[in-house]
Amino acid sequence: MAARYDRAITVFSPDGHLFQVEYAQEAVKKGSTAVGIRGKDIVVLGVEKKSVAKLQEERTVRKICALDEHVCMAFAGLTADARIVINRARVECQSHRLTVEDPVTVEYITRYIATLKQRYTQSNGRRPFGISALIVGFDYDGTPRLYQTDPSGTYHAWKANAIGRSAKTVREFLEKNYTEEAIAGDNEAIKLAIKALLEVVQSGGKNIELAVIRRNQPLKILESKEIETLVTEIEKEKEEEAEKKKQKKST
Amino acid sequence: MFNNLGTTIMATFFGEVLSVYSRAVEEDDDELDENEEDEQIRRELEEKREVHLHWSPEVSESLKSGNKLQCSNFVLAVGQNASSFLSVHILSTANWDTIGRASAWNERSRAVTGQSCEESACVFYRHKDNPTVLICQVSCYVAEDQLFQWTEKVFDCLQHRELNVTVLSDTSVADYKTADYLGGSSAPFLRSLHTSAFGDQPVCQSLEQPNIVTGLPAAVLNHCQVHRIAAVVYQCYSDVIGPDSVTMETYKPVLTKLGRSIQLDLSPSTDALRKFVRTTDLQSNLYI
Repeated sequence: MAARYDRAITVFSPDGHLFQVEYAQEAVKKGSTAVGIRGKDIVVLGVEKKSVAKLQEERTVRKICALDEHVCMAFAGLTADARIVINRARVECQSHRLTVEDPVTVEYITRYIATLKQRYTQSNGRRPFGISALIVGFDYDGTPRLYQTDPSGTYHAWKANAIGRSAKTVREFLEKNYTEEAIAGDNEAIKLAIKALLEVVQSGGKNIELAVIRRNQPLKILESKEIETLVTEIEKEKEEEAEKKKQKKST
Repeated sequence: MFNNLGTTIMATFFGEVLSVYSRAVEEDDDELDENEEDEQIRRELEEKREVHLHWSPEVSESLKSGNKLQCSNFVLAVGQNASSFLSVHILSTANWDTIGRASAWNERSRAVTGQSCEESACVFYRHKDNPTVLICQVSCYVAEDQLFQWTEKVFDCLQHRELNVTVLSDTSVADYKTADYLGGSSAPFLRSLHTSAFGDQPVCQSLEQPNIVTGLPAAVLNHCQVHRIAAVVYQCYSDVIGPDSVTMETYKPVLTKLGRSIQLDLSPSTDALRKFVRTTDLQSNLYI
């Protein structure tokens, strides 16, 4: 039974589990969905907006944060843990700029965050960070990148991925629909992100927040009007597809 | 040294004097050496903790004249998700009369004694078209010393012949003991326990050892087993603390079975769902 092996982080169970790390991954599933898509000239991050209390300032409840001008991340899981990781990453980005006179590569900052997370899975008295992150950006040679980290401290590069609640459903959607033509242009990549989120977001466009980075341009968070327009376009396309199918069936 | 309550006085190694209870009490000691004041306090506490059933006038009349409530199906929901499930999926069809409520004051009741606490009482509903179907929602805490009282008082009002009892109960998946590692994707899930008089097939697998059912569902199941009433408890293990739509959906197969006698609203109105589910989402900023 798990009970004896989840007390201390540094203890392996007889069958090789680190239960605290696995439990931390459960904490990630309690956060709302975030999806990341790597296009050709654009990287997109989409998140399901958390419902904000009436008296709460909406601007302070953000799932997407810039780490530097050319790198940003979306996370899912414990809010407070995310704040700590983001602060450390931001400092590291600037420290890197000052020391090496170059902006960080996306892989470098991902590795830094992942190493930080791994350190907390191997020291006693500390618990792992309860967040997974999707880190996107462009390297200075112009290559778009998307990385995902998790509480264990592993990181991998992805073409498209999702984290948080219902991530499995979104990932399955992406596996079916991430094609060369789906990411042919910037708009298409953004629409793919929205479509993926609409699979799991209940009330449609107004609960989606989207951020994009285009090559040599800073992070841009789309306005809700733009998102609504795109959602309407997507719904139209869906209807047209359904009509076509009906006609095909009847002929 | 002994005094007549069976305590001894002990001197420890360090010289302190401790009063220690001794089990070597003499047989002919007075049972309880309480004075009148203690007795009175105890009596008042017992009265306060008594379970009271308040029926509607016509039901009270019928019960007073010796006729028990005709009942073929009694559905009991214990816990927030179970109660909300019944509210959203069944009671929303408005074919139900409120026929009574039970109140049980204990240390966890928020209301001041003397006032009736409307929201936390256990409410009984009866179907308008099919008056042998009764539903009860229990969202308050019933203490251990009140469980059997509650059960007996309620079942004393119901006729037992051909009675079928279904209990829906919420509990935390953290209380579920298993040798295998349970990944989070399995919760919420249902497990069942039934009396020997229950002839039907439960909609889910039986509760495995060493897990047990506790609280009001256990008291009801126990009573039904003793009185040979067909009863089944469906325990829903969930990883969410408050009312949650996914947890509520887990109970659906139970009502498909009962669908013959009870009207089922399979697609609940989003407003009704929102009322029950929203409240927890907003308050927690822990996860984002």
